[in-house]
Order: sequence, then C-alpha cells, then structure tokens
Amino acid sequence: MSLLIRTDVTAVKLYHKYILAGIGSSVYIYSKDNYRLLTNIICLNGQKIYGLVPYKISNKILVFGGKQYSILSLEYSNDKDDLKIVRTVEPRVCIDWLHSVAWITDESIAILTAHNTVQVWDVCKNSLISQHSSNENSILYSGLLLSLQDGILVLSGTVFSEIIIHTTALEKPLHYLKGHRGVIFSISVNLEQGIIVTTSDDRSVRIWGMYLRTSSSSMAVDTVNYWRSISIKCKHELYGHAARVMRSCITNRTIISVGEDSAICYWNYVGKLMKKVMSHQNGCIWSIDADESHVATGGGDGAVIIHPLTKAFYNGHNESFNFNVTPKKIAFTARKNLVILDDNDNLVHFNINDNTQTTFKLKHESTYKLFSISSCKQLVAVGDKNGRLNVFAENCKDVANLTNVIDSKLDLGNILSMHWAGNRHLVFCGEKGVITVISSQNNDVETSAVFVLPSCKERWLTSAAMDPTNRCIVVGDRCGNVHVYFIGIKNPYKSFSKVHGRYGPTSITIKDHDFITTGRDGTIKYFFINKDNKSLTKFMNNKDLEFQWVEKFIDKDENLVCGFQERTFIIYDIKNHNRLLEVICGGGHRSWDVVRYVDGAGNDYKEYIKLVYIKNTDIHSRLFQMSKISSQNITNSSHSKEINCLKTFKSEVDPLVTFYVTGGEDTTLRISTINANLEFQDEVVYKHLSNVRTLKLTEFRNGILVTSAGGRAQICLRLINIIRKDNHLKVLSEEMVDFMTKGTDKQRKNNQTWRNSTVDFDPETRIMDLDVIKPDDDKIVIFAGCSDSYLRIFVFIEETFALIEELKHHQTCILRTVCVKFSERDILITCTTIGEVALWDVSLKFGREIAPFFSTRTNKSGINSIDTRVLSDTELLVATGGDDNAVILSLIEVPSFNDTHVKYSICMDKYHCSQITGVLFVKEFLLTTSIDQRVTLLRWSVDDHGISCEFLTQLFSDIADVQGLNVIDTNMDSITVCVYGNGMELLRVPLPDPH
Amino acid sequence: MGKTSKDKRDIYYRLAKEEGWRARSAFKLLQINEEYNIFDGVLRAVDLCAAPGSWSQVLTKKLRENSDNKDVKIVAVDLQAMAPLPGVIQIQGDITKVSTANEIIKEFAGLKADLVVCDGAPDVTGLHDIDEYVQSQLLLAALNITTHVLKTNGVFVAKIFRGKDVTLLYSQLRQFFEFVTVSKPRSSRNSSIEAFVICQNYQPPEGFVPTMVNPLLDHKYCDFNQFTGPNRYIVPFNACGDLSAYDSDTSYSLLLEGQNSYEYKNPVQAPINPPYKEVLEKQKSDNK
Repeated sequence: MSLLIRTDVTAVKLYHKYILAGIGSSVYIYSKDNYRLLTNIICLNGQKIYGLVPYKISNKILVFGGKQYSILSLEYSNDKDDLKIVRTVEPRVCIDWLHSVAWITDESIAILTAHNTVQVWDVCKNSLISQHSSNENSILYSGLLLSLQDGILVLSGTVFSEIIIHTTALEKPLHYLKGHRGVIFSISVNLEQGIIVTTSDDRSVRIWGMYLRTSSSSMAVDTVNYWRSISIKCKHELYGHAARVMRSCITNRTIISVGEDSAICYWNYVGKLMKKVMSHQNGCIWSIDADESHVATGGGDGAVIIHPLTKAFYNGHNESFNFNVTPKKIAFTARKNLVILDDNDNLVHFNINDNTQTTFKLKHESTYKLFSISSCKQLVAVGDKNGRLNVFAENCKDVANLTNVIDSKLDLGNILSMHWAGNRHLVFCGEKGVITVISSQNNDVETSAVFVLPSCKERWLTSAAMDPTNRCIVVGDRCGNVHVYFIGIKNPYKSFSKVHGRYGPTSITIKDHDFITTGRDGTIKYFFINKDNKSLTKFMNNKDLEFQWVEKFIDKDENLVCGFQERTFIIYDIKNHNRLLEVICGGGHRSWDVVRYVDGAGNDYKEYIKLVYIKNTDIHSRLFQMSKISSQNITNSSHSKEINCLKTFKSEVDPLVTFYVTGGEDTTLRISTINANLEFQDEVVYKHLSNVRTLKLTEFRNGILVTSAGGRAQICLRLINIIRKDNHLKVLSEEMVDFMTKGTDKQRKNNQTWRNSTVDFDPETRIMDLDVIKPDDDKIVIFAGCSDSYLRIFVFIEETFALIEELKHHQTCILRTVCVKFSERDILITCTTIGEVALWDVSLKFGREIAPFFSTRTNKSGINSIDTRVLSDTELLVATGGDDNAVILSLIEVPSFNDTHVKYSICMDKYHCSQITGVLFVKEFLLTTSIDQRVTLLRWSVDDHGISCEFLTQLFSDIADVQGLNVIDTNMDSITVCVYGNGMELLRVPLPDPH
Repeated sequence: MGKTSKDKRDIYYRLAKEEGWRARSAFKLLQINEEYNIFDGVLRAVDLCAAPGSWSQVLTKKLRENSDNKDVKIVAVDLQAMAPLPGVIQIQGDITKVSTANEIIKEFAGLKADLVVCDGAPDVTGLHDIDEYVQSQLLLAALNITTHVLKTNGVFVAKIFRGKDVTLLYSQLRQFFEFVTVSKPRSSRNSSIEAFVICQNYQPPEGFVPTMVNPLLDHKYCDFNQFTGPNRYIVPFNACGDLSAYDSDTSYSLLLEGQNSYEYKNPVQAPINPPYKEVLEKQKSDNK
C-alpha cells in the first residue's frame, strides 16, 4: 500500500475551490484557500495520471492516464470544509494509450487513442457505443477531443509534425495544420477566442486562428458545420523556450506555455512574450491549468505550484523623482523615506508621505564620500576621506524628519571604508589596515575598539557586523577574507581566507553563535563562533545560489535573500527554491536599496517590497504587492531529476520525523524531512560538481557523517546535527571534506591557457559506490569503487583526508562496494559491470599489497545491488541483483581465506523483467526491486540441502527508473520501505500471517 | 565542454569514430552477432528505422563475408533522410504502410528477408511510461511489417525498453517466434533501459494473415502474465559481447592500452535536419 508518493506531477486541475494534482496513480486534492492537503485517492492501477477532466454540469471528474480511465465524484458544500470523494467508476483498461477524453453526456464519454481511434463508451454499462478509426493511424504524441453539439471534433498531433483535424461524423479530415518541425506535444483550443494553440519538440508555440470562409457569422462554434466552414491559419510562431514545449493553457487574457526548460511563458494574443518566469528548479514542467485568477503548474521536481495570474501583467507601481541634484547614494530610512547624497556635498531627506524634502549641507573637505545606514535604518552616517563625519537620525514618531546628531572630525588619517556594525557602532578602516570602531557619546563619538586588518592587496573592509553582546565583531575585506575579532584584542581571533572571491563579502549577519556571509561569488556561507575554543570557530557550510551577486537578507529568518544577476534585481526564497521577484534595473553597481514591509488595516494586511535605484540621475522607485506575483508551493519541490541514492535517519530531538538524505542526477545532495502528517520538506540542499551517485551515513562525533560521492570523482564529507530551534527542527551541517580524487580543474590543467592546452589523457572518473567503516572513534576509512575500474581507499583522521590506496584488480567499472563485519574482520565486497564479485580482507593494516582473497561471477551482466547476511563465523550469504533480471543468492563458505568457495547458490530470474536495482535482507525476508517498478517480498532459508527462497508477494510502485529501496520501519505485520528513483514512494509491504 | 570529453566519457563513441561507424550502436549489433550468429547464411536483410545507418554499415560488412557473389541485398528503411551508403538500398518511408512492405519485397525480387533488424527509438520525453509505450509501438510496427517481409524461420532483432510493461511485448513476440531472448551487449550501458530482443525461428500463428490495416496492439495482463505476482511472462536474458571487450560504463584513458598516441576524430555523420535546427539558426541570426 502506498503511504506517500513524490514524483512527476503529470496533471493539475483548478476545480472550484480545490486544486487537484495527478501524482503517480493518485489524485491529491488541496484547498485553494489555504493550500492544505485535504485528501488523496488512488485512481488508476499502476499508471500515472495524465489528465483530469471535470464534467461541466455535475461533480464528476474523469481521470485518465496510459490505457486507463476512472471516474471520481466530488461532493462538497461551498461554505463548509467537508469534502467527500468517491471513485464511482473503477479503473478500466482501454484498447490503447489515451491522449484525450471528453464527456459527451452525463453517462457517456469519448476517448482518443494514440492510433487515432475515437471510441464512445457508456460509462454506466461499460459498453462501447461507437468507434471511429482514422486512416491516419501512425502514432500520435498528443490529441484533443471536443464534444460538439452534433459530433466529436478530433485534433491529433502526429509524429509527422502536423495537426490533423477531423470529426467522427465525416470520413475525410477537415484540416491539416502544417508548420511545426517536430512532434506535437500538446493542443489547446479556446472556442470563444477562436484560437488553437500547439506546442512542439521544435521549441515553438504556435497560435492558429480560425476564419469563417462564408459570411454567415451566426454559426455556432460548437457545430461540425462551423468547423467545416472555417479555414485555419497560423497567426503567430512564438519562440521563448530554450527546450521542448510540453503544454499550454489559454485564459481570457493570456496564453501560457510551459516546457522542459522549466520556464513558464505568458504570451498575449498578438504573440508578445509578456513575462517569462523560471520555476520548478530546472525540472521539466509537465502540467498546467488556469482559471480566472490563478495558474497551477506541476513539475518533474515533484512540486505543485500556484501562481497568481496577475503575474503576467503586473509590473508594480513605478515612480521616478528628480530633485534637481545629481544623486550619488540612496537609501531607505526606517519609515521608508529616502535619504539621498548628491554630488554637491548635500544630504537630502525626502518624505514620501507629504513629498517634502529637507536638505543638509555637509561641509566636507573631500569629495570621496562614505555613506552607510544602520541596520535599524534610523541612522545615516556620511563621512569623507579625511575624517569628517555626520550622523543623522530619523525620528520614529510624528512627522518624519532627520536630525544631524553628530558632526565631528575624526583623526584617523585617510579613511578607506566605513560601515555600520549593527545600530551603535561605526567601523572605519584606514591605511595600513587600522580598523577603528567608534560609538556615540552624547553628541560626539568615542573610540570603542581598534583592530588590525591582516595585510592584503586591497586592505579595507566591505562589510562588518557586531554580535548582540557587543563583544565580538566580524568583518570582511576587499580580498574576500573574513575575520573575527574580540573587543580588546587587536589581531583577529580567527581568520577565514578567500571566503567570497575578489569582491569581498557583501553582508555579514550574526545570529547567536552563528554568522552568515554573502558574496558576489553566488554563495552564502555559514560559520560557527565559539568564544572559548578557537578551533571550534569554524566554517560550516556553503549555499550556492543561481545568481552571482548575493547582497543581503531582507527578512529576520535569513530565508529571503536579494542580489543581482547581471541587470536584474532578484529576491530569492531559499527554503522554497523560488524567485520571488525579478526587476530589470540595471545592476548592482548603481546605488540602490530595498525594503520589505507589511501594510494594511484590520484583517487585510499585505506584504510589499519596494526597490529604489538611481538611473540617469533620476531616482526610480518600484513598489510590488507581493500577493500579485508570489507563487506558492502546494507540494514542495525537491530533486528535479532521478534520485540515485537515499538513506534515512531519525533524531532523538523528534522521533516522529524521519530525515531523508538523498543524492541525485541534478547534482544536489539534500536532507529532507517527512513528518508524522507525511508532509515533505527539503531542509538543506548542497551542490556537487556532477551527479551524486552514492552516499553513506556513519555515526561520528555525536552527529551523523554524510559521505557522498559521484561524478568528477568528487567526494564530500559533512557532519550533521539536528537541533530544535524556535519549535522547528534545524539541520546543522559542517563541511569537513570536499575532495576531487583526480584533482580540481585548475590542478589538472596545470594553469594552461586554452590556446596552448594539451590533451589530458586521464579519464574522467566517476565514483560509482562507496562504503565507510570506522575502525576507531576518530578514524574513517572509505572504500570507493570507481568507473575507471580502480578501488580507491581514503582515510579521514585528525581533520586530514587522504587517498591512501589505488588498487587495480578489476578490468571493468566497479558498480557496488559494500563492507561487512565477518568473523571479526572487515570484509569488502566489490561488484562490477561483468557480474564479478570480489571479496577483500580490509581489516589488516594497509601498506602491504591488497588483493581479493576470493572472486566469483554471480550474474551474467552488471551487478546493481547487493546485500549480505552473516550466517556464522564461516558462512556469508550474499544476494546480488543485476542487469540480467536475476537475483542470485550465494552462500559463501570461508573456512579460511585460502579456501573460500561458493557452497550453494540459487538464481531467481522470474520475478522481475528488468535490471534489479535493490536487494535487501530483512530478518528472514528478502526484498527486491527493479526498474520494472515492482517490489517483491521473498522468504529465504538455508539448510543442509541448500538455499531456498519462497515468493510471498509483489507490489507495484509508481516510481519510474527505480534506483533502490530502503527500509523505513518494520513491525509484526508489515515492512515499510522507501522506493526511490524518479521521485520516491513509501510503500507498506504486508507480511504473511506467521501462522 | 572540452572537445575530448565525449571521447573520454564513452569508449564506444570514440571507437565508432575511429573505425568509421556512423554511430556507436554498430558495436551492439556486432556483439549480438557474436553471441547469436544472426548473420549466418543471411543474404537478404532489412534494416528498419535505419538512420543514421550504422546497422546498415554492419550488415554490409558482415553479409559480404557470407557470400562472394552479388546475392547479398540490404534494404534500409527510415522516415528520415539518411546519407547514402554503398551497397544499401534506401527506402524513405513509413514502416506502418503496406506500400513500404511491398517496396521491400520488390527489392528482393519477390523473395522474403532472412533477417530483419530494428534499432529505432523515439526521442525520449523523460516520462518513462510514455517513452516505453512509444518504443513498444515502434517495435510492434516493426514486427507488423516484419510479418510481411520475413521468411519462415527468419530472425528478427529489435531494440526494446525493459520498462514496467515489457512482459506484454514478450508474450506478443512469443506468438510469432519460437525463441525469444532478451540480451544486452557490453557496448550498451548498464544504466540504460535499452536491451535487444533476439527473436529466432519465425513461425506465425496458424491462419495468421499479415495486415497493415490495424496496428498490432500490445497484449493485456492475464492469468499467465499477471501485472504483479509470480506468474509474469519473462524471457531468458543473455549478456553478449566478449568479456574482454571494452565496457561501456568504464572510463578509459585516452591512451588505450597498447597505444602511444591519440588523435581526435570528428563524428562520421552529423545529424540531418533535427527538429531544433530552425530555432538554432534563429538564435544564431538573433545574436548577430
């Protein structure tokens, strides 16, 4: 029984106050008001759902996919939340694959098959009423049925790049729409607008117009006669997608197309691209639906996302100001007024509410100006190179105005940088790296600390932050280094070199014991401060964002971050992997500022984001009401491609939550949670350089060590701890090792330029699998099977990581490596693409020649899964599953290493019809799974006559491209497993009654 | 991506270029033959879905070895245009049309083929069940035209996706052939869903009349071929290709054992008229 499924969302439907999503063979129903999951129901038998078609005048929904359809009935009332859902027609299997279905009457439906046959069925009696087969029966990639008053209209998208329109009433097709250069993926029609929209493999969207050939315009559009009397021409050929265009949807104001490039394109009726939005984390968008107010999309990342339709048109509220001065710097104050520094030694305070401005003349000597606003935004500091300093404060009550609270001259020599660290301290950096921290004392300033910035090429600061106890300060310099100082000590307590590339950190945020930096290298970095132990003050981990210039956080939870991608200003929601706002403004080099606030009255509060920037001496302001543009995740997004490896753990902090560590083809490693309500959420996402093929979890130093590896021979070690913070679980992680076995690109290319580069003969190696043993508490040994047929052994001890052995025994790619403790020794088993299984004794000290003590061939082809069970000191049971659809159980007897042999073996090749990707011993049971999407439960036993294995049961999983399975839970009457591949599914496998 | 990256990633891609094959798939047919000797005594062969033509290249080379005289005839059929190959008769046509079957028989002067091969695959969408379905329909279309052109006792070799419903295809094929085995050449990657069915001894069911009017629709699950359970129709599997042959999953150095130089080679045959051609040209002109 399926408990939870997360995979491609292949159908979505906005239906009254509900959002319906077809995920695997189930329909999930969410409330459109609060986006909560209301219920889910299995609709088809082991078949993905490709369409949900409600009947206009009743509450029935036709669900179809593959060769099946079924009918749901939804009963609900408009004012109450009680939804009743029943499957009124059980899944029925049709003659062929279905591309479209349509309701004819309350009791009859029409289906269009992939061979261009239309059948009309009485759904109550389950009897065929009529059938119409077209002569054009080469395979269709898409199709659409429209129920007309006097017949059924069929639009078929063929493999020959054309759309054939015919009706079941007439033998000959009415129209051929030619023009596309690839297969047709979707056809949409809007009769009121008189248009057909098609999408194709050729990356284009085409809008076709219908034109009446006769003058009698009174003809109803839903008649065969109308379709006979029109001509259809391509009005617009639209290019906006970078890959195949999968689906389209027509609303009253816009045409929306979605594609493999994860773009949602909003077009108007004259073919202009009004907006293009990226969604679903680079996964393909498979499904779309829209009503008068919203668009829902379903993607390959497992997410259902709802977007306000206003997104297509809304560009915010724009204003521009010109103050007859040349603005140089600009910022918002706490009350959202503007302070502007001009090129003529003036500071202007502009009151947004009453449009008044106050100008302060600054009497500075130098034109080199330093400008900074405190984190509370009430204090504005303006300084010059020679030490003149003015601090202005905005009042928080009554009419907003600015007061010059400090007017002073500092004696710090040439000042190179000035930043607020919090709200009380200004951090200056002078020549020779002298950092002076000042704070206010009545109407003057006093020096509260002096530090020395270590020598570097461009020795000044780009950002600074003070911790809440005012004891510790963190600064970032122009060379990208980050330094932690304690008040009273001149030199850094701890330095981190080259954290953020050559532009230096853009912002630093201190939170309790953590601090976070952002930079123009597209990353956010997380650190931990321990005030008592320097070695525990350390870099924790890295977050890669999809835009280069990361500026700062604009919320209190450090989840919304803003920055720039070339000319575009971006606000990004880290947790939901979602771009909240994109504004083309010219880039981050000009002076700009942003505020996020909530405004409104009564119960009607709305979130706003306001951006201000200088362009051509004008000040531009852009105000966005976020509800008009922000998309909402209905189900959360995760891996956008296959999951290659998955492990789970639980934490004592909350035993009801299961943590899933997954690595995928999308080059990410994720830690996600599924709570007791089966809600899924990605907690943290890490990036590898290439795909993540394997991972292992090991208990280590009171935490969990995640060892992951994959393409580009990269191997990463991270230490994970789970804590509870503000009633939320938080994943703390520390990056311990990021190692490129074959060297980094730079090392490999040896600093050659592309002109004089020579060919590097070394193969590009993938780490296919690894296993980890912990010989003692602070030592980790990793065995990695690689695609260049080498077994590599790494050791992590005392914070150093090293490759200690490279062993060439196998001739072909190693697919699996697994360690087992057997007769008090560590035995390593390697399996290869030609079905070899080799046993190595790795418990001895390394340094001598290591070679397998036993080798055999179990499978005819590559071994993709292995599990072991120690039966006694001399007997080891090994299960291998491979590309030959066979599960082999081998009982290996090891009286001594020199005398190892296979005592018994059995081959089971009748339970799966494709590659076996998972085998797992659970007590006396053996679970196997395969690309064929079946999970088989067997019972094994060994006696004097050999091994026997009995078939118990088999389940189907909706997860395609199954890569493996893991046990989540076992009890007396069932085993709960997680099957992963193209998504993941929790399945409960029933155990036989012990009697 | 570097010029040599693909050569490093895929040994057979590189070898195909070096040995003059139009695609790496040539090795798959060669390795199938090593195991099953499908070319023994074959004079007339049909290559369905032939483009870009690597299997036709293999057929030309291997069938010539069978006979010194000019009896060998190879017909290649594809919807798409294919660059010409010496010794191969090309038909640009649809394999679902009876006219195409007749054209093939005409080329064989009324005789039937000894061997039909089909390496056709659709452009995959990424949705595995659709891809598997389309591939199975391609295979059934190939089987359908094969019933028109293949001699009794003939051999049919075709690409298959071993997905969730492949047992339906197996049971369908078994109705027409005495021996059906599924095989994976060493040159086909472990991670790939593709495999090949080798169908030997063509014996159509009694009273079977080849027709193109109705496409052969695949079977439904039934008692002897259940959707899930112990009774599923699974055919024997064989790996093919020498154990010492190159392995397509293994990363090899550009300097292979026994070689002391490496030279980059261009692909033998570039794609003709891909669907994205227009958009690429458009992008190019937009950037100018």
